[in-house]
Amino acid sequence: MPQTGNGSREQILQRVRDALTKPAAPPCVGPPRPIFALVGDLLERFQKECAITLTECTVTQGTESSREAITSILDSLPAGDFYIHDTPQLRSLIEGCTANRSVRWSSEGPPLETTQVSLTLAEGLVALTGSIVTSSGCGGRGASVVPDCHIVFATIDQLVPDLEAAMALIQQRGLPSKNSYVGLITGSSRTADIEKILVLGAHGPRRLAVVLQNR
Amino acid sequence: MTTAAQEFLRKADEKSFDLRHRKTIRQGIDSYESAHNKGKSRFSDWEAARDRCAQIKAEALSRLDQYLIQFEEVVTSRGGYVFWAANSEEARNYVLEVAKKNNIKTVVKSKSMVTEEIHLNPLLEKNGIEVWETDLGEYIVQLRNEPPYHIVTPAMHLNRSDIAKLFQEKIGGVQTNDPTQLVALARRKLRQAFFAGEMGISGANFLVADCGMIAINTNEGNGRLCTSLPRIHIAMAGIEKIIPHLQDLATLWPVLATAGTGQHLTTYCTLIGGARRNDEVDGPEQFHVVLLDNGRTELLDDTEQRDVLRCIRCGACLNACPIFRNVGGHTYGTTYQGPIGSVLTPHLRGLKEFNHLSFASSLCGACTEICPVRIDLHHHLLQNRRNAVNSGNRPWTERLAFSFWRWMMLSPRRFRFFGWLGRKLMKAVRMLGLSGTRLDPMYKWTKYRAAPDFPAQSFREMWMRNHAANR
Repeated sequence: MPQTGNGSREQILQRVRDALTKPAAPPCVGPPRPIFALVGDLLERFQKECAITLTECTVTQGTESSREAITSILDSLPAGDFYIHDTPQLRSLIEGCTANRSVRWSSEGPPLETTQVSLTLAEGLVALTGSIVTSSGCGGRGASVVPDCHIVFATIDQLVPDLEAAMALIQQRGLPSKNSYVGLITGSSRTADIEKILVLGAHGPRRLAVVLQNR
Repeated sequence: MTTAAQEFLRKADEKSFDLRHRKTIRQGIDSYESAHNKGKSRFSDWEAARDRCAQIKAEALSRLDQYLIQFEEVVTSRGGYVFWAANSEEARNYVLEVAKKNNIKTVVKSKSMVTEEIHLNPLLEKNGIEVWETDLGEYIVQLRNEPPYHIVTPAMHLNRSDIAKLFQEKIGGVQTNDPTQLVALARRKLRQAFFAGEMGISGANFLVADCGMIAINTNEGNGRLCTSLPRIHIAMAGIEKIIPHLQDLATLWPVLATAGTGQHLTTYCTLIGGARRNDEVDGPEQFHVVLLDNGRTELLDDTEQRDVLRCIRCGACLNACPIFRNVGGHTYGTTYQGPIGSVLTPHLRGLKEFNHLSFASSLCGACTEICPVRIDLHHHLLQNRRNAVNSGNRPWTERLAFSFWRWMMLSPRRFRFFGWLGRKLMKAVRMLGLSGTRLDPMYKWTKYRAAPDFPAQSFREMWMRNHAANR
């Protein structure tokens, strides 16, 4: 259902083409060279970056200790709904550790305004920047931004070294054509709009916690 | 002199000597500088990163038509709408039309300089649509009924007590000046807006041609909420926001974050390619992208200044600029402030009305030095000055003064005579006690500063004497 025509499309394109018949000087730059130092130990770097961006990162050994890590985060939070990305992996992981929270699975609809905490998988993790790669396939768009606390469950083999590798991963998995949203998340929601002072939890999660399972 | 130029001088005069303003700005810029330097040190080669970004944006501009068409094809193939707006009016009207067709009463906006440029909010409000700015800084200036002070930090000119006072007046319930409490108060208010909002309007930091997605960078997460919860999403961007490949973001994202705030990466680096798909949990029902020209194709046509279109609106040149630091953002009277605004505004709104901004510069080159996409900003300021003179857009008094100066400089005798006359005149002004008064010919300079004593002899006289003595 097109809302209206495409406006001044032809006119703008014609003006662009006319302008481009005149060449402009290329930017004055040196030969290409590496921009970032190579990342050595992926896990070590990821943990270091998490510390800088105030992302909580817990490395666990096996399902049982992941379950414990998640329970301990849940226990530290005030009462409220628990929103979970509906996948078999998380269904089996979360069995018995939802505490006394009412659970809403992503298959039942998007997170509600009152959602206290969410648990999702990630598409990948970036060591260079301590980021998680997410998409609407990870429990929807709201899962990572509506709740007060976002818990990400990931495994160590999901770590990629840098942003180039992250972009390659997004492309290779065809995420842009399979998802209407793809994103990198680095830390919890924050603002420094008042006197450049950092405050966490501007609109979205105050806490971002990554439970990283070593298997 | 145009009204805009007069207004600029008046406000610059006022702000330069406003000590409270100076203190607030200095604090903001000092903290930016230390974060920016720390951010740069996280790159192994920051200069290489700048080179790469300049190349990416130059490549995009060199085939702008092809990349725009590629972007449009991918977006429309997924059911999104792409609207091409030649000017502000077309862009504004499109948004209003979409809003009316869908019976929209409440709009939530994430930060977008393009919507400031086209003055979107007044039109929507006039048509009975409630508009919420959701970036905290934007929300603050919206409550104050002010334009953004700075393209990245809109409320840079306010301190916590200003904001506490404002919130108390407009929202109520303020107990302290503590930024954490103030943010929490705004959060409660704005979350209501997010969940009630029917249409989300965002800008775009980049338009990625090969995957047909828009890229939005926000720290607060408001960009995410604006594009996740309402049933319609409209993204508005200038046509120069296009980049060829998704892979380019591996460099552009960290560079934008570092140049903008000194962060390694903005908290939410978001890519959106369409409305909610059938297999997805949430997201809007409609996705629109408005591509805005509004003078950009004319800038593309100016081969000398085409590189201005590489701008990623990081705001670094504002922070670096000694003029911005003294006169502040509102003095410019433009959507885009600082060096980039002084270069860009004459192209968007006319050289006649806005050439004065290019004269408000020390040509120190700090802007060019900091620009992450290597725009030759200070030379463009110089070119704008030249263009203003050549097109007869400068006052006749200035032309007369320069003709006189030229005539004087072309003869040693005249130079000597007028130098002597000037010294005598200045001495007389001081003896009569007129220094710093309106009768002082140097009033503009001496009203805030003591004029130094002129030496009894000119350089020329001293040279003649010493030269004769040494011979």
